[in-house]
Amino acid sequence: MKKLKTIMKNNKLIFLSVLLYAITFFVAPQVFFKSVEMTKGFLIQMVEIMPPIFIISSLIMVWIPVGVITKAFGKDSGFKGKLLSVLVGGFSAGPVYAAFPVAQALFYKGASVANTVIIISSWAVIKIVMFMVESNFLGITFASTRYALTIPIIIIMGYVMEKLVSREEVLKEISNTKVVYKSDKDVLRELPNMNCGACGYKSCKDFAQGVMRGEVVIDDCVIRQRAKKTQPTLKEDYQEK
Amino acid sequence: MSTVILIIIASGFFGFSIFKSKEKTKESLKISKNLLATTFVEIIGVMALVGWVLAIIPPSLIKQWLGNSNQFVSILFAATIGTVTIIPAFIAFPLSQTLLQSGACIAAIAAFITTLTMVGFATMPIEMRFFGKKFTLHRLWLSFLAAIVIALLMGVILG
Repeated sequence: MKKLKTIMKNNKLIFLSVLLYAITFFVAPQVFFKSVEMTKGFLIQMVEIMPPIFIISSLIMVWIPVGVITKAFGKDSGFKGKLLSVLVGGFSAGPVYAAFPVAQALFYKGASVANTVIIISSWAVIKIVMFMVESNFLGITFASTRYALTIPIIIIMGYVMEKLVSREEVLKEISNTKVVYKSDKDVLRELPNMNCGACGYKSCKDFAQGVMRGEVVIDDCVIRQRAKKTQPTLKEDYQEK
Repeated sequence: MSTVILIIIASGFFGFSIFKSKEKTKESLKISKNLLATTFVEIIGVMALVGWVLAIIPPSLIKQWLGNSNQFVSILFAATIGTVTIIPAFIAFPLSQTLLQSGACIAAIAAFITTLTMVGFATMPIEMRFFGKKFTLHRLWLSFLAAIVIALLMGVILG
């Protein structure tokens, strides 16, 4: 029963939409078929775009050294970094949700909050192909004025975001929600396995079972906490502040 | 078209990665698999909901909402509609064109298009998964504000 609950909780949206679709099917079948048709269009686009996006993001994670990204997109990259971010977004493909994995990979590798926001926003708004479509329908004056206004405003947004949200806050939030463990064996793999008992459990195995039962979270492990504090990439940022 | 370029870039990058180191490529595939597992279901859910909403709200209704005579009200309205919906560009631009022709103000259209692409209410759960709640919420209200500023300036310059 509890397991079912967590599955429901992790897949809220899909359950909600299944429910809505089921209701719609009985109440208004024509709306049901129309929405299935719409969704199908979205899904085809998604299936084409997301796999390459995931591959590119993970290759960034594995290959590009932190130093390179920090230099190009980090806090000290200055205005040049901002412009570069606009370009990255502008030359990309796909809807805004495709921007998230790539931007996250860059963020992990040292891109600043400001530049992450700029990449996401320009990914969404600034598109060469879209520009042509827009000027086709709404006139070139409309499109070019909108772009001329949007680019500086996106850069300003980056500066404001940097003030509002700190790098550590984002890192903290995503490191807490990122991993979902399937069994206590998965948890155990991430533990030091020293059976030190500092967490209050007898052994790491007991602790892992505690994590699965929801009594503790994995970061309650004392050794892990200590290891996290001395992570070099984070430390640099703390000192800058 | 842009999808093809994307796939070419990804496979080129991937081929290079295999050539350089099998180990690291394996590692990257593992990360991809994790990304896929954690987001695919969510994105499908979002898409299904958006499809449903779009099927319920026909373009003609949106047109009715945007045709408000008070300019500022219609800017706000347009920005809000753009925020809560995801409409593919190939529908949004023709729709905007008919809106303009039927008398909607330029500023409202600009607000609509800008929030449509930049502020995603529907993609919020996905964004939160990648960047957390605080980042997402701040980015959304800032983008909303930015869209309104852009719209007002557009109204001044072109109106």
